[in-house]
Amino acid sequence: MHLTLLTHSSRLPRLPVALLIASALVAGTAMATPTVSRLTPPSELFTSGRPAPVIARFLPGQRFDLQATLRPDDAGKTITAANFAIDGKKVDLPVSLRPCNSGCLATVPSNAAIASIRAVSVVKPGLHDFSVTATQSDGQTVSATGNFEVVPLVAGGRKVKNIIVMLGDGMGAAQRTAARIVAGGYAQGKVIAPLAMDTFPVTGMVKTASLNSVVTDSAPGMTSYVSGNKNNNNEEGVFPDDTVDPFDNPRIEYLSEYLHRTQGKALGLVTTADVFDATPAGNAVHSSSRGAGTGIVDQYLDDRGLTGLSVLMGGGRKWFVPSTVPGSARGDRTDYAFSTSDAHTAQIVQRWGVAPGKLDKDRDLLAEFQAAGFAYASDKSTMDTIDPRTADKLLGLFSHSNMNVALDKMDGRRSKARGASGRVVDDYGFPDQPLLEEMTSKALAVLERKKNGFVLMVEGASIDKQAHNMDTERWMLDTIEFDRAIAVAKAFAARQGDTLVIVTADHECSGAALIGGSRVSDARLQELVREGGAANVRDKVVGIYEQAGFPKYRMAADGYPETTDIDNRLLVGYGANSDRYEDWRTNERPLQDSQQPFVKKEPLSAYPAGPMARDVEGRFMVTGQVPGDSAVHTATDIPLSAFGPGAWAFTGVMDNTDVFFKLAQAASGGSLVPDGLVLAPVKSLHKR
Amino acid sequence: MIRLLKSRIGVALLSLAVVLALANRTGHAFAQEVETREAPPIEELRFHDFYRIPVGTKGLEISETLKLSSGRVMRIVGFMVQQEVATPGRFLLTPQPVQMSQHADGEADDLPAATVLVILDSSQQEWKVAHRRGLVALEGVLSVGREEAADGRVSWVRMQLPPDSLRSMNTFELAGYLHSQQHRH
Repeated sequence: MHLTLLTHSSRLPRLPVALLIASALVAGTAMATPTVSRLTPPSELFTSGRPAPVIARFLPGQRFDLQATLRPDDAGKTITAANFAIDGKKVDLPVSLRPCNSGCLATVPSNAAIASIRAVSVVKPGLHDFSVTATQSDGQTVSATGNFEVVPLVAGGRKVKNIIVMLGDGMGAAQRTAARIVAGGYAQGKVIAPLAMDTFPVTGMVKTASLNSVVTDSAPGMTSYVSGNKNNNNEEGVFPDDTVDPFDNPRIEYLSEYLHRTQGKALGLVTTADVFDATPAGNAVHSSSRGAGTGIVDQYLDDRGLTGLSVLMGGGRKWFVPSTVPGSARGDRTDYAFSTSDAHTAQIVQRWGVAPGKLDKDRDLLAEFQAAGFAYASDKSTMDTIDPRTADKLLGLFSHSNMNVALDKMDGRRSKARGASGRVVDDYGFPDQPLLEEMTSKALAVLERKKNGFVLMVEGASIDKQAHNMDTERWMLDTIEFDRAIAVAKAFAARQGDTLVIVTADHECSGAALIGGSRVSDARLQELVREGGAANVRDKVVGIYEQAGFPKYRMAADGYPETTDIDNRLLVGYGANSDRYEDWRTNERPLQDSQQPFVKKEPLSAYPAGPMARDVEGRFMVTGQVPGDSAVHTATDIPLSAFGPGAWAFTGVMDNTDVFFKLAQAASGGSLVPDGLVLAPVKSLHKR
Repeated sequence: MIRLLKSRIGVALLSLAVVLALANRTGHAFAQEVETREAPPIEELRFHDFYRIPVGTKGLEISETLKLSSGRVMRIVGFMVQQEVATPGRFLLTPQPVQMSQHADGEADDLPAATVLVILDSSQQEWKVAHRRGLVALEGVLSVGREEAADGRVSWVRMQLPPDSLRSMNTFELAGYLHSQQHRH
């Protein structure tokens, strides 16, 4: 018998009842048929039968993988062949067929197979159908169809040479507003000194959902901007698959890779997090496991020929030293090595031109970066000595894991002892960490010498991380730090005239809301905290509406608040919070336990703990709306602001994946003005 | 919750709450009391003495003090790391309170280099230790050197706790603990 099932109707998610009946009629008694349980790129056409919305979109020529999971109709059969077609025409590239007898998800039968074609691209703009047809060992065949779109590049105005993506992780409207109130101040309702990001001429709103949730995490949050496609949470630069290998997923070419391949642009990544974290990795690394640190940092170096990686700065030195060096986090379980004999992964190497990887926990990646021509900075002082006229590549690793947050770095510079044995940065062992604006400035100094331009991503990482902790003052200062980096980028773009800068976030974090201002002085607040209870800490403190007034923080010459514990301070509440105690004050006091007096002699006992542990003195308990101890990301739209040629494309409410096509259009097609928008030469209407 | 339990126990003793995670058992576990004020003269190791501070340009350098502590029963005072998801049979101890949002951040964490992986006795590997705020003093056998866990996380300093560090929660205590996980008030 030879039964061909038509189009997408053989997918598993929808019971192919009609087809089962049809096949029974053809076969006489047999009801079973092979099925296609996953077809990649993802599409609604395959999943639900609806042709829209189109899920996967690509640039003309942007590379991606085709993949299908194929299930025989009973345990005694196998899948013997598969091929793919686009718009009805067979894709004439090698198809790998990986059996699932090992290494597949537990939900996939062992006689299933995964068919892949690596690094496909389509140039012709418009909507395309694609299909897989597979043959079972008894001769039956099965087909399924999906769709994707190729978004045209339109001939526009001047092409931008450089793209700078300023990514405030977790920075929603509330975080942005709080930084404005603290850093800029208000007078009679008007901002005294606007944030740099507030001076950008164009602002829109971004919808942040990932492929599998309305609430994204940072991995797909970033990759949507630089691949044009949605990924599952925890996955970066890949579509989901049915194997357990985190490095073999179907890939999507990043903006950095596309522009390096087509225009020779360089890539820079700057973050205050560990550099293996999802946001920086989501510009250059392809993995379904954002936690696979060893493989992620290896890929930075090994595939720099594809991404043009020239600047990498942040924390995370633990991944770069051999496993024999104390503190190293390198290990084989977080690494990868592609098989040279199994076509499933061998064709990733052959078709994409990537390194095969190696289980090499003893690799001295720090030395290899330097051997590859990267100047290395282990602290700010060293970074400052690096001459961008002679160093065309730069690696900066300023801490063991995440860098310390701005508040603690500034306390370090001001010699303010907020730590257990002194300054927090001393306790962590990295007393000379640069601020984000300093890293950004150095990155731009190196990258501006790239004759073909660059893509630079700068992340204010701990806006998110401190919002998770509901540590208000720390995310406020990290947002200010981030804005100071934005000012550096804006100044660069204004000077160059050929650089597009966007400021956005990957998602909002914690449901932060500026609920008002304190009605009392800081001294009185401390008294009320000692008295404790909601009747004091809430009812006598929280000023709403006109009671909030305009909190006035004094900025020091270094650009950061002299103190965050002012009279009549700004108050922040959280809508995505876990249970916590709140006393509104900066978390700095030693946590003392009266039942353990012996520990008072231990100098390292003096940091605030998580939300439940700190601020407990005032005993103002805020019941959380989410389980656990951390505030969580939210699905709320986030603002995006743009500056420079191509900025006007970023108006309205847009999907996060739209951002990619607007950036690529500006770099490859030329800047465009949206339909219906007429620009007249206007002087800035923004008043300071 | 801890305060509540302490008041019930009625003594000022260090305790670690643990939850029995065995799905098919009804037994529960709670903290074993360690008489800290009458503790035997076990040598104390300070986090600050683990590595050379400040850290150099590459990796960490283990101090002689830490090297000499390996294989010996030591006492360490620190904070239990507040993990989003507790791992059965183990927890992390640090010189300062750290919260980990593993779901969002994975290993991009704020753990200091001087972190101790505290391992329960082999008979207690399916027990979860409930987070306890404030400082805790732990005594156990220290081991120093690289070890990679099944999840890929690498530890450099571990403390093996004796089995009597824990005791079972009774049903009432467990109910109180589980309730506190839902509504901390």
